[in-house]
Amino acid sequence: MNGTLDVILRLVAVLVVFLVLPLVVGQTEHKVMAHMQGRLGPMYAGGFHGWAQLVADGVKFAQKEDVVPEGADRRIFQLAPVVSLLPYLLVMIAIPVGPHGFVGQSIDAGLFFVLAVMGVGVLGSLMAGWASANKFSLLGGLRTAAQLMAYELPMLLAGASVAMAAGTLSLPGIVQAFHWWWIPWQIVGGVVFFTAGLAELQRPPFDMPVADSEIIFGAYTEYTGLRFAMFLLAEFAGIVVLCALTSVLFLGGWHGPWSGSLGWLWTLVKTGLLAFVVIWLRVTYPRLREDQLQKLAWTVLIPLALAQIALTGIVKVVTS
Amino acid sequence: MSPVPGHGLAKGLAVTLRTMTRRSVTHQYPDAAPHLPPRSRGVIALFEENCTVCMLCARECPDWCIYIDSHKETVPPAAPGGRERSRNVLDRFAIDFALCMYCGICIEVCPFDALFWSPEFEYAETDIRELTHERDKLREWMWTVPTPPALDPGAEEPKEIAAARKTAEKLAAAQETAAQQTETPEGGA
Amino acid sequence: MTLAAGHPGFMSPTGVEIAFVLVGIATLGAALVTVTTKQLVHAALWLVVALGGFAVEYLLLTAEFIAWVQVLIYVGSVVVLLLFGLMLTKAPIGRSPDADSGNGWVALVVAVAAAATLVWVVVDAFRSTWVDLGGAAQGSAKVTGAILFRHWVLPFEALSVLLLAALVGAIVLSKRGAPARRSLLSKSEALPMRGVPSERKARES
Repeated sequence: MNGTLDVILRLVAVLVVFLVLPLVVGQTEHKVMAHMQGRLGPMYAGGFHGWAQLVADGVKFAQKEDVVPEGADRRIFQLAPVVSLLPYLLVMIAIPVGPHGFVGQSIDAGLFFVLAVMGVGVLGSLMAGWASANKFSLLGGLRTAAQLMAYELPMLLAGASVAMAAGTLSLPGIVQAFHWWWIPWQIVGGVVFFTAGLAELQRPPFDMPVADSEIIFGAYTEYTGLRFAMFLLAEFAGIVVLCALTSVLFLGGWHGPWSGSLGWLWTLVKTGLLAFVVIWLRVTYPRLREDQLQKLAWTVLIPLALAQIALTGIVKVVTS
Repeated sequence: MSPVPGHGLAKGLAVTLRTMTRRSVTHQYPDAAPHLPPRSRGVIALFEENCTVCMLCARECPDWCIYIDSHKETVPPAAPGGRERSRNVLDRFAIDFALCMYCGICIEVCPFDALFWSPEFEYAETDIRELTHERDKLREWMWTVPTPPALDPGAEEPKEIAAARKTAEKLAAAQETAAQQTETPEGGA
Repeated sequence: MTLAAGHPGFMSPTGVEIAFVLVGIATLGAALVTVTTKQLVHAALWLVVALGGFAVEYLLLTAEFIAWVQVLIYVGSVVVLLLFGLMLTKAPIGRSPDADSGNGWVALVVAVAAAATLVWVVVDAFRSTWVDLGGAAQGSAKVTGAILFRHWVLPFEALSVLLLAALVGAIVLSKRGAPARRSLLSKSEALPMRGVPSERKARES
């Protein structure tokens, strides 16, 4: 009975985090982006500096009509947002926040679980792109698929490098094995992982699949109301997951001063800083062209990731 | 090319970060009134006391958006035995701001300084027909007309002031000569 | 019957076993729909369901590592590649009866033969061996790795050679198209409009 209660409590906590953190990131993006462009951003909703803007957006989305285009493949069209959102909820279960089992569910092959399930999320975009019966959506879906195939590999290789260093695939195990000198050792892998993750999330500057100035909104063009909101939520949940993963794998998760009692705070702070970097990159850089995207993945990121793996292997052999 | 690869990327990041730490340039308009520069073209105000119904503004208006109605009144002679004068009395002066293109020609051509630019701009209506504003509204806007900005130092004197001064000087000179002449026979003028 | 006496029987199934059978039925159904549906993209998506079902089966057998690799490789990459190809050929929404090649019977024979072989091999190899799932996980990453790199190194390496051959083959195939593209390029260079000065300079140097 106690065990069941424990599981339920953990799942509820993960659900709450899943619903709150993406909104926090979204609001931060509103404000940070505005100030980086010399604007103020939302100021009205909720009274103090527009803190409730995303809540208001949610209410607005809920009121909108749920339109399914006439020529669309109805069932797949309606299923796509769920497919793109749910994987991130699942991933959050496996991310360790603090020491001593402060994790939704410790999974033996956690790293593979996380990367596998994140890859499934992109299926949602593909389904949406094909089922919308819209040329722009189809183009967006094609670009999503091409991007996913190019960037999944460096991401996996960079993750594998950390797994090699730690000697385990379990995420809490990896954090447990972390030492401060891992940061310079794995920095290349970390950068590759983060960059490839950004590309997989289709965040600017890798937002070719949703490039609004040329293909409207890619695979999400035909979506309205709550289903559209789910795609947006998936994007922000993806940012949270990516940042949490990067901080867990490459920045030592809960490690830091007083990590015994404040470990969870360290994880949150690192995740938040990375989320800020995600927004910062979005504001600063223009969109990469499709050929530049592919070139970056195949000629820069993959060789770098392979070099990182080689370095990890050499250091591992030398030190052991 | 930059000396260090990635130099430009770092520079871009620095620019955005620096902008974030600076004060934003947003004006919170409905909460804080905007600071408009002098001679802002908000709306046209009518100083109807100066209007003589000469119709120049209505005729020069490229959009034909000024509507003027008037009638003639006879004014009894100022002095007994004098001639009766007829005078134009303004009945209606309206500007259709749905048509107006804010060219300001009416203000330029008004010979009696009856039309002015007012910086007032919050006169949106929900019906296009209500954008035709009548003389009382136009007269009210007169209160929002700011005093004209001072001339640049060393600028030429405004024409009307120059003209007024010239006439005043001429009058003074005339009065002086008259006074000198009247030293002997009669007094007063 | 004497063999089964010492083992837990099939008559009193545990929850995991029931789940295993149910997921198996669902996976089989999804696989059948995959090959019978007339809608191309639906077939690919049903394939996702079938592969996901396999992953769940692996999980139920405590082969966690294999399960996630299954999802990562097949659902995350192979099906994406499949969908990419389908979208590239503008798979229509709705039925596409012309996509049927008419080799259905041959495919059925091959499928049945393959299935029979696999089932026969598995049944012959294990007979009524009872694998206890309750103990230490035998499908964890550590165990899988140890088994793979100690006992099955040779097949593993042979497989990598096969993949390498496929990779080289792909490169050769794509290289064969290169001369044609080069002639296209030179044609575009001949046009005065197309040659961007900086590009041309870069090519000359």
